[in-house]
Amino acid sequence: MSELIPITALGAALPRLASFGALEIRENVGLALASLALRRGTIGPRPFGLTLPGPGRWIAGQGVAALWTGPDQWMIEYEGRADLGFAAELKQFAAGCSVTEQTDGWVAFEIVLRAGSRPLEALLSKLINIDLADFGPGRARRTGIEHMSCFVIRRSEAHVAVLGARSSAASLWHALETAAKRLERK
Amino acid sequence: MLIPHPLLGPRDAQEFTYLGDARLIDRPDPSAPDAEAAFCDYVFLRDNPAGVHRELWFHEQGDRSWLVVTRDTVTHEVLGAELARNVALSRTRCGK
Repeated sequence: MSELIPITALGAALPRLASFGALEIRENVGLALASLALRRGTIGPRPFGLTLPGPGRWIAGQGVAALWTGPDQWMIEYEGRADLGFAAELKQFAAGCSVTEQTDGWVAFEIVLRAGSRPLEALLSKLINIDLADFGPGRARRTGIEHMSCFVIRRSEAHVAVLGARSSAASLWHALETAAKRLERK
Repeated sequence: MLIPHPLLGPRDAQEFTYLGDARLIDRPDPSAPDAEAAFCDYVFLRDNPAGVHRELWFHEQGDRSWLVVTRDTVTHEVLGAELARNVALSRTRCGK
């Protein structure tokens, strides 16, 4: 039997990590994702004790987090469980809801600022067409980055995550890298 | 152009795709005796007003909801937006 070796969305054995001045961009290969949608008549579940957030919001618990993706729909994230069949675990908290495994459909890039706050805002204003005055910690938006549909999550003042389609992971990395490099040069 | 999304606030029109006249929500009854004529009008006939128009927009690079946007086709002023789901549900409740 042949030995199968898993590779990351960017095609390497190890997740990519790069620094641009005070900004660090890291491919997060451990993030498990599953979507959760209510069906007619179902009562809002509380997966892993989370209160599911309202429009445009993201909420985090212990290792687990949820972001609003549409009316009665959420994406649930679980750190470090990408290879453990997360949807089945989530389904136990969401009787009667539609739960779909999403982990391998997406690539997650974590953008962390190690000092100051301006470079992160500057990067976001280059990348996304979103009013940053209303994009503090706990906010999440689906929007377009260079024509690619992405979720952008403000995990904290100094931490933003971008989830994009796994099939265009390299293009998304290129977009983030190019914008970050231009800021670094300034 | 900014579209005032009822849930997410003002969003760039680039995130949306356009379908057309919001009367597409009113699909004729296929079992009615005049269904053929009604579907002919439904599929092929549209008003093309110079002025206020209600139209369907899809928030494709966003929360993927359908909106009914009221727009002035002469000035491009957007006068309002509501979730198409709510528009359709309120019509069902009115018995239309």
